Formats: sequence, structure tokens, C-alpha cells
Amino acid sequence: MEGVSYQRFPKIKIRTVRDDFMKFELRETDSSIANALRRVMIAEVPTIAIDLVEIEVNSSVLNDEFIAHRLGLIPLTSERAMAMRFSRDCDACDGDGQCEYCSVEFHLRAKCINDQTLDVTSKDLYSSDHTVVPVDFSDSSTGFDNTENRGIIIVKLRRGQELILRAIARKGIGKDHAKWSPAATVTFMYEPEIYINEELMETLTLEEKKEFVDSSPTKVFDINPNTQQVYVHDAEAYTYDDEVLKKAEAMGKPGLVEIHAKEDSFIFTVETTGAVKASQLVLNAIDVLKQKLDAVRLSADTVEADEQFGELGAHMRGG
Amino acid sequence: MNLCVAGEQCRQAKLTYSGNFMVDVHFQYDDGFIVREKINLGQFPIMLKSKLCQLRSANDPKKLVLLKEEPSEMGGYFISNGLERVFRLHILQKRNYPMSMVRNSFRERREGYTNKAVSIRCVREDQSAVTVRLYYLDNGSARLGFWIQGREYLLPVGIVLKALIETTDKEIYASLTCCYNEKYDGVMGSVGTQLGGDRAVVILGELQNLSLCTRAQCLQHIGEHFQPVMTGLENESYSIIAEALIGDYIFVHLDNNIDKFNLLIFMLQKLFSLVDKTSVPDNPDSLQNQEVLLPGHLITICLKEKLQKWLLKVKRGLQEVADNKTKKFDLGSLTAVLICNSQNDRLLSWLGYVSNVTAAGVQKFIEKNSPKQIGAAIANLVKTGRLDTQSGLDLQQRAGFTVQAERLNFLSFISHFRAVHRGASFAGLRTTSVRKLLPESWGFLCPVHTPSGEPCGLLNHLTTTCRITSYYNSEGKIKDFFKVRMSIYKVLVSIGMIPSSPKLVLAGPPEMLHILLDGRVVGSILSNIVQKAVSYLRWLKVSATSLIPDDLEVGYIPLSIHGAYPGLYMFTSASRFVRPVRNISVCAEESNNIELIGPFEQVYMEISCPDGGDGGRTDVFPATHEEIHPTGILSVVANLTPWSDHNQSPRNIHQCQMAKQTMGLSCQSINHRADQKLYHLQVSDQLHRPQLCAQRHEKYNIDDCPMGTNAIVAVLAYSGCDMEHAIVLNKSSVDRGMFHGYVYQTETIDLTQQNMKSVRSQRSFGRSNVDKSSHHVIDSDGLPYVGQRIKPNEPYCSIYDEITSKVSTTKLKVSEPVYVDYVAVDVNKSKKPMQKASIRLRHPRTPRIGDKFSSRHGQKGVCSQLFPDTDMPFSGVTGMQPDLLINPHSFASRMNIAMLLESIAAKGGALHGNFVDATPFSSSMKKNSKGSETDDSNSLVDELGSMLTSGGFNRYGVEVLYSGIYGTELTCEIYIGPVYYQRLRHMVSDKFQVRSTGMVDQVTRQPIKGRKHGGGIRFGEMERDSLLAHGAAYLLHDRLHTSSDHHIAHVCSLCGSILTTSLMQSRQQVVRDMIGQDLPPRTTPKKVVVCVSCQTSKSMETVSMPYVFRYLAAELAAMNVKMTLKLSNRSGGA
Repeated sequence: MEGVSYQRFPKIKIRTVRDDFMKFELRETDSSIANALRRVMIAEVPTIAIDLVEIEVNSSVLNDEFIAHRLGLIPLTSERAMAMRFSRDCDACDGDGQCEYCSVEFHLRAKCINDQTLDVTSKDLYSSDHTVVPVDFSDSSTGFDNTENRGIIIVKLRRGQELILRAIARKGIGKDHAKWSPAATVTFMYEPEIYINEELMETLTLEEKKEFVDSSPTKVFDINPNTQQVYVHDAEAYTYDDEVLKKAEAMGKPGLVEIHAKEDSFIFTVETTGAVKASQLVLNAIDVLKQKLDAVRLSADTVEADEQFGELGAHMRGG
Repeated sequence: MNLCVAGEQCRQAKLTYSGNFMVDVHFQYDDGFIVREKINLGQFPIMLKSKLCQLRSANDPKKLVLLKEEPSEMGGYFISNGLERVFRLHILQKRNYPMSMVRNSFRERREGYTNKAVSIRCVREDQSAVTVRLYYLDNGSARLGFWIQGREYLLPVGIVLKALIETTDKEIYASLTCCYNEKYDGVMGSVGTQLGGDRAVVILGELQNLSLCTRAQCLQHIGEHFQPVMTGLENESYSIIAEALIGDYIFVHLDNNIDKFNLLIFMLQKLFSLVDKTSVPDNPDSLQNQEVLLPGHLITICLKEKLQKWLLKVKRGLQEVADNKTKKFDLGSLTAVLICNSQNDRLLSWLGYVSNVTAAGVQKFIEKNSPKQIGAAIANLVKTGRLDTQSGLDLQQRAGFTVQAERLNFLSFISHFRAVHRGASFAGLRTTSVRKLLPESWGFLCPVHTPSGEPCGLLNHLTTTCRITSYYNSEGKIKDFFKVRMSIYKVLVSIGMIPSSPKLVLAGPPEMLHILLDGRVVGSILSNIVQKAVSYLRWLKVSATSLIPDDLEVGYIPLSIHGAYPGLYMFTSASRFVRPVRNISVCAEESNNIELIGPFEQVYMEISCPDGGDGGRTDVFPATHEEIHPTGILSVVANLTPWSDHNQSPRNIHQCQMAKQTMGLSCQSINHRADQKLYHLQVSDQLHRPQLCAQRHEKYNIDDCPMGTNAIVAVLAYSGCDMEHAIVLNKSSVDRGMFHGYVYQTETIDLTQQNMKSVRSQRSFGRSNVDKSSHHVIDSDGLPYVGQRIKPNEPYCSIYDEITSKVSTTKLKVSEPVYVDYVAVDVNKSKKPMQKASIRLRHPRTPRIGDKFSSRHGQKGVCSQLFPDTDMPFSGVTGMQPDLLINPHSFASRMNIAMLLESIAAKGGALHGNFVDATPFSSSMKKNSKGSETDDSNSLVDELGSMLTSGGFNRYGVEVLYSGIYGTELTCEIYIGPVYYQRLRHMVSDKFQVRSTGMVDQVTRQPIKGRKHGGGIRFGEMERDSLLAHGAAYLLHDRLHTSSDHHIAHVCSLCGSILTTSLMQSRQQVVRDMIGQDLPPRTTPKKVVVCVSCQTSKSMETVSMPYVFRYLAAELAAMNVKMTLKLSNRSGGA
């Protein structure tokens, strides 16, 4: 086994990129790398989220922990997160998490003074750092009515109720708490390869072809209206549910189509919470992954590695 | 009654919701003026939402919210010392119906008794009951047994017959034998036999032997014997005593002696038929012969007894006073009339008056006789559920009438009001026949909703449609029973009944049938027209115009060959079970065709299921009635199990129990409550409505108090952690708030009670100014800051004693940090410092390993692991990750198919954005009309499957998942979909028990037990056996000795005693002490163990032993038994 190199050079081909969505192909690698990338994106790309809440006045219907929890789950723009320090190993503030290097302070002050219910939303949070603010969904072209969009509701206040608090946001990773996870959905699937046995297909009547096409819950196949030939409409819509294979079997035509999963190429779908841009999330994930691999390489002299890597050392120890 | 405190204040201040109970007492001296006197009978508890409750007027939710109550407050319970207590419904024998029974215990009554009797529970208008039993004797005679002051007295039936009315032997003979006719011998429905005549002769012969011939003689005889037990009538003549006895104890539901005579004849006929086996005994365990004890009725009879006793006492006292003044008094008989009306269990109104002598200073005299005890007695009944009575009130039990209505969640709360208990006396019985689910309870008691285990089958729940009749009709007006009976009587006469007055028709089944109306033989009817009469009565019942009440029970027992004793029994009384069914023999257009039927008549009715089939009926007995909906047989809780008709039946039973243990939104007025423990699930509004719900869901506003979460459940074996009975939760979902909950715990500190105990202290809330260690938690008033986080063993309350000027703190005895949610103080009017405070603490409870969760299909499991998002399997297409994993093996043994269906249906519903109706038995509602074939082929699964395929999913609910750990495709398709999951109240945080070292028992020096005190878990006999079997001797020694009461004892090998040893300073040391301090002190002054009895220390040995051994030696010594130890180095050596 020694001396045999399994080194491969994965390729990424980006298909779609939006602020909070990205679809790309990852080729020439195996599922371990793909999954490592997925796991890192979900759990180890750092973001900033509210971690400490000091409540001064809370006469709302929700209790303090409830509000603190809700605040924690609000996504904050975290482009700065990679450069920030974890407050647990911040030198500037001895880890008490109150300095500009490791924390961002927020203030919220709301009081309902009229009979209309007041919605306290993420937009009422005032940040001490203009780069770290609650994610604004209104500017993204999601098609929502922008005037209506007032951010994420934290609590509703009735007349006379008041909420005053100070919150400190810190850097963290999704492994510690899901609020630090930048990813809403990260998934991949093997790229399917679909071969239609045209000869066998031609033996089917149009009715049968339609039946066959409809047997898949997703639109994988279609019939060319002109030639009345079955063709692969969207291979990636295939969910590996074997419905079409079963249908072919039931029609007495096994081998009508052949479907293989390409074991070395993956289609990734990444959706973010808005804390980090989707493209940035992938890049950050690759960075984190690289650092982790470096740590593995240097694991022989772990102690030095720790010192060398500083904050990342602790990060890697955690992994 | 007047109220000054609101219900909400009572709950918070731990008070009793009550009002002043004022009565008018009328005093009359001879025939003089009637003097009215208003008397306060103390504080009387008030039921919430009853007529006298403040909430009565608050009809809409907004008003209730303003009064700090639940918006859906329904009342029906009492508040006693801040606790909400409900009267439990109990099963009683059906009133005013002569029930034939066979019981071996009757034989033991006296010589000559058989095991057969006919028993009737007679209930007066004021709800007090007296049971009368007619026992059959071996010689053919019968004895009438009745209860006076908790004792049974027996009279030969002939004496009673003759004492009731002026009659002749011939008449009695004729009425007893009338139900036998030779020509009907062996015909269906004939109940009489030739033997009846012989028995009549025996009964009359007994009279002859006592030489009692006339009514006067019989009355004289009775009066003579019963004079001692009839209190208050000591000076009366025997005949008056006998009349009073008959009036007060025999057939008290009837006021006319002729009616009593007729009923007694009827009972004798029934008894003879039971003896001759021409009719079967009635089953006392069947709902047919049962009714229910309502809280209002219980309070009424309890109060009646108390009032009677009190009035008697007052009367006696007044009489004494009057006698002392040497005046002549002719006392009118004492009467206490109570008019009590009680609707279902809603309201009580009282009016008590008495006619008696009066004199000056009566008021003062009455005050001496503690009238306030009466209110207190009722309050005590509510508080403890114990009846304080001497006579027993004709009830089977004395305790357990009230229970605390826990508001664990909405379902558990309403279940308290729908629960019917069979009676505490049955709980101890070894026979299981009372627990059986009998067909008679169909539609009235839920077959699903009963606890498993000890109270199984004894504690049942009313079905959703079942109601209990009351003194109020459907329009909410008080029923006039006299009028009702009269109109029924008129109708009966008009349809061919021959009335019983002046003389009962001397004929019996099968020719004529007796008609009993509320236990009165009103007449007879020809058996060939009775069927028509019954259907006419039923028509009158549903028609709006007639005076016949809609809840009249027309129990027609038809003629049969040796079946139940035939007759037409009608009941108008309160506290019967009724339920609505559709009368299909009545035209729907004509009027509403919903008829209320009772369990007595249901047995003989033909009720079909609305599935369109005939239910296997022949044309001879066509269905006359139809169920409204098949779910009517289920209780509220059982109705909420989706598609329960697809589950294995025990699963539904389990779900009913678990639904009541679920942590949910227990109440919306949580901010104004001070329950000792309240479980609360942190929920948002829409997420927590089940995707799949039964029709009843909306009807009962379950959305107002959600009880769980829609969780994405994947059925797969993903690791070792999702075993059967265990589930794996997604840690990230939990991080995001899934199943978050709180436990609210209220500590009430009442210093007044503590201060009352001793004069030495005058305590109030306050904190120490010297010791500032707890100032971050406790404010200057001695109470904690609201919102403050308190760690275990930190104080949360500080009390200052003014006399000793000491400050004591109350410490938190929990194992986790809590938050102060709310602090309420009771401000009394006086200027005294406040004495009472309620502190509500909030325990946050995020799900953790060991917490219990359950789906709605009796599928409970303990969280065995929290997997992070990354490790959970994910769908390659949607990226969906399950919130919860369960093992596929869980389905094989439990067979809860509805859970599988829920997964698919909820997935389809979620895809299309709608809620799926999962009402059980909905297929039984489809009428067998045209197009049924197409319906049948469209089975539920097909319907659901197409919902999925149209959303782009596999029609069988499976998906291809990828392993979150390896990133590879899982080898098989995984069943995944949303299932509504409940979090149960059982959490490890309340249960875990751990100990390394800690308190030990004073006597044995073994570790103490009990989680509260930091005790250990007993390493018991079976555990010991297990270690022995493994040969783990060292471990066994460690558990039982080293880690328990390990002790090194000094044993004197000369005398073999371990008790005579004593520790002494060595002699050398004593010597040195005398010499002085010149010598340098030794490093450790040595102490020597000496045997006191042998006076030497030479023979002392140390032996390691359990400390209890020494204790045993000491105990034996106390009994003058000496225990001698023989020490040796080798085992078995001398």
C-alpha cells in the first residue's frame, strides 16, 4: 500500500450563485471529501450570534430566557467572523467577551405606548458595529413586499409593556450551538447517469411511454412531442427512488432504463441563513477544512502546532 | 352569600373560595308567632361558575381574561386552600328500580337466608337515599331489610304489607299469585309459578304465628320494636312511631302507602320469579343498573344531615332551657326542609327553615351551638374528600370524593370532570368482574380511556356525547317533576294503561306488564300494545310540543324466556346517563329526531351504525335508531388520537394516558397562577398544531393549548442509540427551541402559621444588613428579585425574627439553577408586616438525555442521544434532516399503524399546505349509496399516496437518505415524515439520583434513602443475588460493606463481647501527666482500648464488620441476650 498515491484534484463547477443560495458540482473526489465539506459548512464555519443578554426591563409576555433564545437565533451578518477572535481565547479582554476583537454589542429599547400591538423585530436591535447587523431580508429579491418586511419578530408588546436589553454577540461555530450555523441547508447527491434503452423504449406505445414517464414523482423523463421519444428531461431531478425501474419491471421491460450514481461527482446545494453569503460560506468552509487538515498533518508535534496556530489550535482540538 | 375575594386571588393566596352561608330559621312556640332569625352557618365553598360565583356573569373570554381567569374557563370545581378540587363522579345503584341480585353474603345474614334478594335504592326528592332489600328465605318467606343510622333492620314482609294499608289476607294472597296463570305456563314471558301461592301462605302464616291480623296490630308490633331507634319520638304512641318508620325508612321515594304496598308486591313477585329462575338476576356491574353521584347531590345530602343534627341539638337545648323555666311546652315536631336544586354540577342554592319553639336570646343560644361548623364541614369535605357522617348517607365509601384537578395540560384537566369512578370499595376486590368492559356501557363510557394498572376498569371516562341528567331541562329551567310525571301519567292512560288506583290489576306477564314510573307502580298495560306505546312515547320525547321531557328513559324490557324480568320502567329523575342518538322511525322533517337515551333502555333498542349496513339485523327487528357518529363512543381524549381505528387497541389506551401526561401549554393565565407545579411547553402558535387532527380537535379548541410539536421523524436504525423504547433527537433542532419547556414551581411561605406555633418569635420578611452574601439575590424586603437566577443551595427568601433578631434564609433544594418568575405578597389590612408570600420559580427544561417523548399512538420513548445536525442523515434532494429518529422495530411489536399513516398524511398535508382530517371511523359514516364502489377502491393509502406523488415524493412515504457521518447513500429507503410528538412530564432532572458520600442513618450508619435527602438507591436482595451468581465477591463486599456501614469494632477475645470495650487513655500518659510537663510530649498520645468487664486491654482485637452488627448486639443485650464472638485467624477454627 505504501507509496501508492490516492491524491486527486477535485474540481468545482459553479452552476448558480445567489446571495443565499448556491449550486455547484464537485467532481473527481469521493464522498468523504464531499461530506467533510458539508459537515464543515454546517457546523464549523464561524459566524456571529448573540450569546449574552443582559435584560434590564422585560414586562413582555415572554420570559427572559425565551427572549434571549430568540435573540440568539437571529442571523447576524458575519463577514467579519473569520477574522474575529473567539472570546474564550481573546487576549485583549481576558476572555470575558467584551472587546471589539471578539464581541459586538447590541442594544434594544422598545416600549409600546399606544393600543396597537408593537412588534419588536430584529430591526430594533442597534449594533455597535455597522458590519455586524441583523440580516436584512428585504433587499434580497425574494419577491416579498418590502414595505411589509420588518425583520424577524422577537416579541410583541401590548400597551405599557417594555423591553430594554443589552446583548453581546460573539463568534462561534455551529457545533457549539445551532445558532452559529451559517447554513440553512447543505446537501449533496450523487450525480445520476441515466441511459435509456432506446430500442426497448421504441417497443412501447405512446400510452405506455406516458405511463412510464408519469411513474416518476419528479419530472426526470419527458416525451418529445414531435418525435414521441422519451428523453431525459432533468437527470438531477431523479431522487434515486427506483420508481421508474420498478415501473419498467412491472411493464415487463426490465432494463428499459439504466441508472447509475456517479460515485465521484456530487451536486451540492447550499442555502445560507444570510449570515454569510453562500459563495463565501463555501470558501470559508474550504479554508476551515484546510486548516483542520493542516492540524492533522502537524499532529506529531501537537503542542507546537497549538501555539503556532493560536486561536485555531483550540478550534482544531475541538474538532 | 357574599363574596369579597376573587377566584384568582384565592388561588394565589391559598385561600378557599367561599361565601357566607346565611339561613332563615323559623321558630314557633306552640302556635304562637313565627319568629324568623337570620343565622350565619359559616363559610360555604362556592363552585366556580355556579350561580353564586362572580364568574357566572363573565360569559365571553375577554371578561374572563380581565378577571385573570382562563379565557376558556368552564368552572365546575372548587378552590380549597388555593388548590382546585373537583368532586369525582361515582357510580351508584340506579335509583328507584327494584334490582334482583344474587349474592352469597346474604346467606351469612342469619339462619335460613338464601343468596337471593331484590334491592331498591329509594331516593327522596332531596337526594337522600335509603336502600331497601327484600331477602328470600329458605322457607319461602321474605324479609324486608332497611337501614337506620348505619344498621340494618329486618322485618317479615307480611308485617310490612299489612302495616302499609288496611288489607286482608285474601287480598295479599291474590296480589301475590296474580302473576301466575296456568294457561301461560311455559309461554314466553311468564314469570309466575305455582309456588307463588305456597309462599304467600307461608308469609301469611308468619303473621298468624305472631297473632297479628289487623293493620293496627302490625303497627303496634313495629312501633314496639323500633321505639329505641327512632330518636325524637320517645314519647309517642307505637302506631305513630311505626308510621314514622314507614315514612322515613321504607320506600322513601313514595309518599303514599298504597304505592308502597304495590311496589312491595311487585318486588315480591320479582323476587319469586328470581327464585324460580323464571327471570335472571340484574347485573349490578352493568351500566344498565347504575347512575352517577353528582357533586351537588352529595353536598345536599351531606348538608341535610348536618343541618338536621344541628337543629336537633338546638331544639334539645332550647327545650332544656324551657323546661328549666318550668313552663309547659308542647313541641311541634321538628322538621327541616331543604329545597336544594343542583344542576349537573354547577350550582347550589339553599333554603333552610325550621319551625320550633322560640324564646328570648335564641340568637345567643344558637351562637353557642357553633352554627359555623356546618359551613366548615362542607369546606372540609371539599378539601379532604372525606365525609364526616355517622349514618353513612347510604353511600359505599367515606373518603375519596374529591380530587385535585391538576392542570398538567388541558386534556388532563378536563378528564377530571369526565371521569367516573366505580367506587373505592371495588378497588380492593380481588375479583375482576367489576372491571370488565360490558356492552351495556356502549356509548356512555369510553372503552379506550381507562388507566392501565390498578384502577383499570374502575376509573372510566364519559364519552363525548354522554351527558348526565339534572334538575334542569335543556332550556336551563328547573324541571317540575310532579308536572312531568302527571303528564306522563296522562299519556300512559291515553294509550291504554290501566291505572293502579284504586286497585292494581291482578294480572302479570305475559298478559299484562307493570309500568313503573320512577319506582312507582303506576299501572299495567296489555303486553300486545306495549310496543306501540313505547314508540309513541319516544315520538313524544323528541317532539318539541309535548310536556314529555326529552331525557325521559323508556325502559321497556320485553317478554323473554327466562330473561330479565319484563315490564315498562320509566325514569325522569336526575343523575342518569343519557346520550343522543338519531331516531330514524321519526321523520326528520317533522321535528328534530335526536333522542336522548339512557343505558337502561339502550339494551333493548335497535341502534344501527351509520355505515349504511344493517348490522346483521333481520327484518323482524329493524333498526329504530341510528348512531350520530361512531366517534360518539370515545371520550374527549380518545377522540383526539388520529385514526385510532388503525391502531392496535392497547396503543390507544396508552395514548389516552400519555396525552394526560404531556407537557403542553397548561394554561394561558399562567401569570396569575400559583400551582405547586406547572408544566409548560414553550410553543409558538402555528408550528405546534398537529398537521393531522381529528374533527374534535377544533371542537375542543385544542389549538388554544398545544401539546406538542410536528417533528420530522425518520424510521431507521442509525446507531445503537435508537433502540426500542428510545429515540434520538436532533441536537440542532433542540438548540433552535424544539421541545423547550419550563416547570413552574411555586413556594408559598406563610409566616402566620409559623408565628402562631410559638410566642417566642415574631417573624417577618427581611434581610440581614450584616451578612451581605445573599444581597445579590434577595432584595431589602427579604424576597428575591424577579428575574433573578438562583443557583442550587442559594437562598431565595430571608426571614427576620424581631424578637430574637435572627435572620434565617430559605434555601433552594433543587439541583439546577432556576429563575424567579414572580413574587406575590398577601397584603393584609392591618399594619402588620406582610406575612405571606408566593414565589414562583421557573426551571428551564431543555430536552436532554433521559427525557421522555411520545407520539400520539402510544409510542413512547426516552431520548437516548442528541445528535448534531451534521451527524443526522439527510435527504439528497431536499436537504431535509430528521428531528427525531426511531427504530423500525418499534412498529413491529406495537402495531400502531396510524403512526405510519400519520407520517405519510402529514407529509402530504405539509406539501399542499393543509391540515388532514384524521377522524377515526370516518369510513363508517359513508352511506351505502351510489358511487360506493369507486369510493372503496380509493383507499386511504391511495389517497395519501397521490398527495405525495403530486408533490414530487415517493408515494409510500420513503425517501433516499444519505448518512450524515459517512456521506454515503443509505442502503435502503427511509420512511420519513412529520409526526406530532408530545413531550411527557417525566424528565430526568426530576428523577436522577446520585450519591458518592452523604448522610447516613443515625442508628445503622447505612446510607439513607430518598432522592430528596441525597440518599442512595438500595442495593437489595435481588441485586445481591445477581452479584452472587456472577461470583463477584469483591464487588459484593464493596457494595454491602465498604460503601455502606463499614465499621471497625474492637472485640474482646476473652469474653467475646463487642459492647464492653471502652476507649481509655494509656496508663503511661496518665502517669506522665502527674509528673509534669518536663518530658517532651510524644508525637501522639496513645489511647488504649480496654474491655470493661475483663478489665484488660491485652485481649483486644479489631474486627471489621457492618455497623448494624453492633446495633444488633446492642439490641440483643437490651433483651438480656449476650452475643459472644469467637475470634480466630483461620476460617472454621476455634
